Amino acid sequence: MLLVNEHEKVLWLARRAAFGFAPGELEQFEPKGAAAYLDRLVDPDAHGVAAAPDPFADIVEVTDPQDNKTRAEMLQKFTYSWIDHMVNTPRRLDEMMTWFWHDHFAVQSSVVRSGRLMADHISLLRTHALGNFRTMIREVATNAAMLIYLDGDKSTSQAPNENFGRELLELFTLGIGNYTETDVRSAAVALTGWQVLLRQGARPSFNPRLHDSRPQTLLGRSVNDVDSVVNAAVDSPSTATFIAGKIANFFLGPGIDAALIGQFATTFKAANFELRPMVRAVLQAGVDGKGGPIVQSPLVWWVATRRATGVAPDARTIVRYLESAGQVPGSPPNVGGWPGMTAWLGASPTAMRATMASVAAELAAPTSPLLTAAASGDFARVATLLNVGGGFAPSTTAAIKTLGNCGVRPGVGALTLALASPDVLIG
Amino acid sequence: MLSRRKFIAIAGGVGAAGVAGGAAAWSTLLHDHVDDAVAQRDQASASTQPGTTGGATATAASGNANRVLVVLQLSGGNDGLNTLIPSDGRYRDARHTLAIPEGDLVAINAAGYALHPSLAPLVPLWNGGTLTALEGIGMKDQSRSHFKAMDTWWSATPGASSQTGWLGRWLDATEKGKEPNPLRAVALGGGSPALVGMTALPTVVISPAEFTLRTPRGCDAKTLTDAFLATAQPLNTGNDLFAAAQQSFPDTLDAIDVLQKVRTQASGQAATVGNGAQGATALLQSAAGIIEQGIGTQVILVAISGFDTHADQLTRQKSLLADVGEGIAQFVARIQKAGKADDVLLMTTSEFGRRVAENASIGTDHGTGSVSFVVGNGINGGKVVGDLGLGALVDGDVPISVDTRSLYSVALDWLGGPTDPVLGATFDRYGILK
Repeated sequence: MLLVNEHEKVLWLARRAAFGFAPGELEQFEPKGAAAYLDRLVDPDAHGVAAAPDPFADIVEVTDPQDNKTRAEMLQKFTYSWIDHMVNTPRRLDEMMTWFWHDHFAVQSSVVRSGRLMADHISLLRTHALGNFRTMIREVATNAAMLIYLDGDKSTSQAPNENFGRELLELFTLGIGNYTETDVRSAAVALTGWQVLLRQGARPSFNPRLHDSRPQTLLGRSVNDVDSVVNAAVDSPSTATFIAGKIANFFLGPGIDAALIGQFATTFKAANFELRPMVRAVLQAGVDGKGGPIVQSPLVWWVATRRATGVAPDARTIVRYLESAGQVPGSPPNVGGWPGMTAWLGASPTAMRATMASVAAELAAPTSPLLTAAASGDFARVATLLNVGGGFAPSTTAAIKTLGNCGVRPGVGALTLALASPDVLIG
Repeated sequence: MLSRRKFIAIAGGVGAAGVAGGAAAWSTLLHDHVDDAVAQRDQASASTQPGTTGGATATAASGNANRVLVVLQLSGGNDGLNTLIPSDGRYRDARHTLAIPEGDLVAINAAGYALHPSLAPLVPLWNGGTLTALEGIGMKDQSRSHFKAMDTWWSATPGASSQTGWLGRWLDATEKGKEPNPLRAVALGGGSPALVGMTALPTVVISPAEFTLRTPRGCDAKTLTDAFLATAQPLNTGNDLFAAAQQSFPDTLDAIDVLQKVRTQASGQAATVGNGAQGATALLQSAAGIIEQGIGTQVILVAISGFDTHADQLTRQKSLLADVGEGIAQFVARIQKAGKADDVLLMTTSEFGRRVAENASIGTDHGTGSVSFVVGNGINGGKVVGDLGLGALVDGDVPISVDTRSLYSVALDWLGGPTDPVLGATFDRYGILK
């Protein structure tokens, strides 16, 4: 995907790594160039970009098992607060990587059934989003939401439950085909003994009496606890490639040259599984034109839409739409995360994007740069404000023009179509 | 204004990678980078001399176009042992806490088997000969990983990766030279890789109840619709993904029209909705509505989830199977009333069964062989095909006695084939179809 100038490069970074720009941000960052903006994204501390306050501060654990009402409220609050945080956080790449890790270490609210534990899980992913992979996965392995979701909290020496052990190898580290069924069982046995007890405030705890401490052979190493299992998995030769490949796929699209992924994996391993240098290399490759087109997922598209239009519609309605589109934070379809790419071109996501676009366009303030540009027929400006580098395709511009100035305010119809256009969708 | 179909026809010329559309992402996820050679091979095998081998292929062009296949996918790996329950004592020996009490079993005319109590609504179908079961179904080399196992079930190419699904290959083979109809194959409740073909365009509707297009106030709905259609003209043939995005509007608007009609019809009917709008009962009612429309839909895939019962299995499976039993019974009643029952074959699939032994969490872990049901007036029902093999467990699992592709052969024969070319070999049909 050839990016011909700094304008296109900066916009590419905004689309892929930052959930898009708010009006005025392009003008702020473009003059300093893509290299400077990339560095700001990857190393926000060095640029004085402070973290936003904890979005989950007022989400509490519901200790009364009968209180399903508060439980449901806290779960909703978790989802709504997270979406707001994605829109508002100044540390954009940290949040994009947190979103990536939520897809990677998928847990479902419907199984975890605690807003507080979901919040803890996501906060954990955010803390390590660009940090050390080994540290992150060690924390994830005994995180309450993950223990509940993949039955680690019910796995005992008497009957080890394989669910987490299998996904640890298949989805979280090595990738399928790089381990045996015996490895799965060894991991399961060595990981026994963890519990999440509501009477202990739903904090994870280790109960040695439920743990099988006999050494097991996992990937050629002797393991007998969570640390040794995680280290065996992380150090396995395929893990660096698997993780680097997945991150490259996320930012650059599918079909990236295996040799390039090999370079990312080498960077990753050489940095002792620190993520920041590898992610930097992946984004640099994108800026250098080595990426391909991707389909923006409904959630990423929606966060960018909110930021560009400046609206904050009723969260309950929006989450219902996102549910129909197939992507609500906290509700991946299964432990494999979301399908991605062309699945987002299906009928449901398409209908829901158009619907959500109409809501955002209607709520956009009359003075907002986007609505003003749409009302005045300046569609090149609309495209730029929606982070589209080279302007809309002629077919899109012609289609937008047929809408004239329909809507409760001039430009609402035109903006609806622009937001849901293929040009915005194919980032 | 150009017709929507016209856009679709134009889109037929777009590169295969782009037009796989709706559900191709699963393959992308599962196979990372499938090279062109594999894709070419799939396409070649799907289109190799259709009609030259296999069961009912000769009837392909002779009046099976009204026939419909409905696949109900029980995602998560349904526990077959607690679905079609054996009287074999080894079942109760292995399942101290999970065995369904004998007093709760629902009797059917089948030696050695009974149904889970939640499946009571299926008894009249079984005893009436329109329901049959395939026991110990699966494919050799299928994995205990959901993703690998589902991939194997969907591609039906065990041991080899494939970019296409078994139904996608059938759609490709039978659409050759015709204007593609995206509503020929519809997935409700989620996209399905089974429908992914090289050129076929399935329609994926996650939630039929929410499936509408909102028009901003102050704009005319038709003007907006026309504008959305206009973004697809001309298709950007230099960028497959962009073209696929353009094309998603015409396809979506067609699908919305159909589901709108289904909703209008359904509003007069009082279906009991088990497990909410995304449950089997609700989705199968939408499927019945689509069949009633008579719009050329031949394949409907309904996906429901929650069967991964590692813990608390008794409660969870009871509720899930109640939805399945009620859903199938109401579906059959509705298509019968509509006079379409003779045209429809329904089957259930699940990526694997579960271990015979229970775990410590009042649940079961991933296993191998499972149970599938086939429902329809066109079958010789009331039989258990295959056997459970509790005396010959493989690695603690129910062994595979019926190849999944036998089930698929029955399904594709029902649709008029081609069958064997799509599945790559000839599989026993067990005389299931009349």
